[in-house]
Amino acid sequence: MARPDVRAWLLVGPATLFIFLLFVAPLGEMLWRSVGGADFTLKHYETFFSTPLYIRVLGHTFWTAFVVTLICLLLGYPVAFVIARYGGKLGGLLLLVVAMSMWTSFLVRAYAWMVILGNRGPVVALLNALGDPNPKVLFTTFAATIGLVHLLLPYMVMAIYAVMARIDPAHLRAAASLGATPGSAFRHVYLPLSLPGVVNGCVLVFIICLGFYVTPVLLGGPQDHLIAGLIGEQIEELLNWGLAAAMSMVLLVATLGVLAIYNAVVGLDKLWG
Amino acid sequence: MRPVVVLIAVLVGAFLFLPMLIVVPMSFSNARSFAFPPPGYWIGYYTAYFNDYRWTIPTLNSVIIATATTIVTMALVVPAAFGLLRHRFKGRNLVNLLMMAPLMVPHIVLALSYYLFLGKFRLTGTHAGVIIAHTCLSAPLAFLIVAATLKGFDRNLERAAMSAGAGPFRTFWYVTLPALRPGMLVAALFAFIHSFDETVVAIFIAGRAASTLPRKMFESIRLEADPVIAVVSTLLFTLVIVATVVATFWRKRTSHAT
Repeated sequence: MARPDVRAWLLVGPATLFIFLLFVAPLGEMLWRSVGGADFTLKHYETFFSTPLYIRVLGHTFWTAFVVTLICLLLGYPVAFVIARYGGKLGGLLLLVVAMSMWTSFLVRAYAWMVILGNRGPVVALLNALGDPNPKVLFTTFAATIGLVHLLLPYMVMAIYAVMARIDPAHLRAAASLGATPGSAFRHVYLPLSLPGVVNGCVLVFIICLGFYVTPVLLGGPQDHLIAGLIGEQIEELLNWGLAAAMSMVLLVATLGVLAIYNAVVGLDKLWG
Repeated sequence: MRPVVVLIAVLVGAFLFLPMLIVVPMSFSNARSFAFPPPGYWIGYYTAYFNDYRWTIPTLNSVIIATATTIVTMALVVPAAFGLLRHRFKGRNLVNLLMMAPLMVPHIVLALSYYLFLGKFRLTGTHAGVIIAHTCLSAPLAFLIVAATLKGFDRNLERAAMSAGAGPFRTFWYVTLPALRPGMLVAALFAFIHSFDETVVAIFIAGRAASTLPRKMFESIRLEADPVIAVVSTLLFTLVIVATVVATFWRKRTSHAT
């Protein structure tokens, strides 16, 4: 039965070959460089893990991703809930707003925050009026965090909404007819049913945040460097390719690690299903 | 409880939407820096955008790269979706994983990988290099959309055409392809937008010669130098608003029609 296989490979072959040669091979090249190429060495990894600055950045990256994910969840859940549960004109409008902000370029949104939080912007003017003569808003952890939340919140809302939209409202009516108050119906019926969406949204936001480059670099200060910013710095200043490659491998392994846990618990196909 | 939840949702919606509006007055500002509120208004930076080759060339590059990326992506992904969904073969799961793999790798990691890899073939700073990278990045989403459309397609239509005497090619051309067209258009649109918006890989591998619009925008925001960034932001933002509103009404109309 070789023939059907041949036909299948004629169809999937080009895409497979393209991704293998032009996606897997570049990653392989990076792995190769990270261990010093033909003169095998682990010194780049040793440098990374023995430099306090790099370890701090790695820890800060995970911490930021955690905080941003948590804030996105707290802000995103009510929005998804109103869209899915109440619908109507307000739900439609909220969905439109979420879609618009999702489709607006990261750079446009980063620029908007730069103006709002900048030295000659409205927030600083307000703080001046309130009596703080020299407030520092832009290039702070606060600015980087608010920028990241603004950027990633739409993904959280969409992931939760996608699951909520499939929850049958009859479940809630059944709970109510059995005597549950709206609060306990939500806690015991709706919340557990929406949990897969929460998990999807959190994993999505967390892994995007782990490797995010643009916003922390533009809005945060030097102390807010995430590991992506560190890698970017190495490339721009043509410093140390081996070290940059080792840093990238650490980031890649961290990202794949989160996805592997998700895969083991939920199944990877659910993330984009 | 309901009014509280609605209030929170409305406030979060405002937090998402209102900050983006600031780019509109900024684009008419006559200030040389990022001052808000603007000291005065004019449209000088709009004419500057359309006449300054440092902005028009990256814009053109982005259109060229996104168009080429869309074509290559679709040429790879459509046959792959047919192959994966309609055939059982050895290595099928591996091919499926490979198609999704670019979604799982942070863009900065890919930026470095492509910088090192394309550099060996002297492809950094070329259109071809960026198109290659963008095709890999666009492929998973486009593949998912085409595959989802193909899953929803009723194969009995094909059987009907075949039993009415159409050959496999005519069946594909007159029955399968028209039914899949909407899904394929959406996939192509996603691939285009994905490439047009992609920033991180472009920053590091496009160089001056193949610089894309996002790369140019990133530079000008970082240097806080060029007020034209407000014009570009306003144009892109307007494009998104028009597109989402049109898409929403179009979907409403078609869903009423059926």
